[in-house]
Amino acid sequence: MSSAELHHHAQTSAPLPPHPEKATLEGRNKILGIWLLIGAETVLFACLFGTYLALRGSNMNGPTTEELFQIPMVAAATLILLTSSLTSVLGVVGMHQNNVKKVQLWFGITVLLGAAFLGLEIYEFIEYVHEGHTFTGSAFGSAFYTLIGTHGSHVLFGITWISSLMIQVARRGLTLETTPKLFVASLYWHFVDVVWVFIFTVVYLMGKVG
Amino acid sequence: METNVQHQPNQSVSEDRSMKYVLSFVWMLLLTGASFAIVTMHLVPENMVIPALLILAMLQVLLQFFTFMHLDFKKSRLTAVFTFSGIAIGFICAIALWLIS
Repeated sequence: MSSAELHHHAQTSAPLPPHPEKATLEGRNKILGIWLLIGAETVLFACLFGTYLALRGSNMNGPTTEELFQIPMVAAATLILLTSSLTSVLGVVGMHQNNVKKVQLWFGITVLLGAAFLGLEIYEFIEYVHEGHTFTGSAFGSAFYTLIGTHGSHVLFGITWISSLMIQVARRGLTLETTPKLFVASLYWHFVDVVWVFIFTVVYLMGKVG
Repeated sequence: METNVQHQPNQSVSEDRSMKYVLSFVWMLLLTGASFAIVTMHLVPENMVIPALLILAMLQVLLQFFTFMHLDFKKSRLTAVFTFSGIAIGFICAIALWLIS
């Protein structure tokens, strides 16, 4: 579909096709592109996980994983991020119903939950530093903060991305141009949640059982 | 226009989807709850804890991929191949780095 047609589509607000994110070649390419990104990011995180697993015992007389990690805080962070994964997919359902209000509501909740997760993570890092677990303190500290910090920066990028898309949707509505962007952002957000599933399992829970 | 005709049935399909998503969310909560319970309540023998945790995590990730992320082996084979290649290489990288120590 040409850009003139797209423009016409946006102006007349004609009903969107059932899967607007896959209706244009650009949209389909964006979806394939995000999956390629996810494949590459998987390898990035896998390397950080491997490094962490290799170095988690080298705590240089600092606090160990068992002393440091608090199960209730991790459970709260997990619940927040898991719920935000659901709200972003409900946003996509709203998009398929061509319902701007629903899209803005669910993606708005997703952004708020993402921000709450980040707040909790910052609080957690401050706590750990007070207990003597720092980035430069030990190999365990370096590997831990690199892994969790990389994930946290992905959350920060995700909430910035989704908020800017919400502004764009408020201005342009749901069009053949904006719907692929929302769809791709929600795929990225699920991926961030998938990485957290492995973080709470490998870092926190396996850190508790030793 | 064709799209006008398709609009109504499409809406009811999306409604059904919401329920499907909420249901898989409940499953994810159960899997997460099981992981936390295994660690805090010592439900399984000690040498089985880590394998059990990893299996629960894998199940939850597959659930995310096939429901929330709309991955479908029949409709998007190329995508699935890329994703699982990434996971496979990632898995090898993680295990290799772990074994260095």
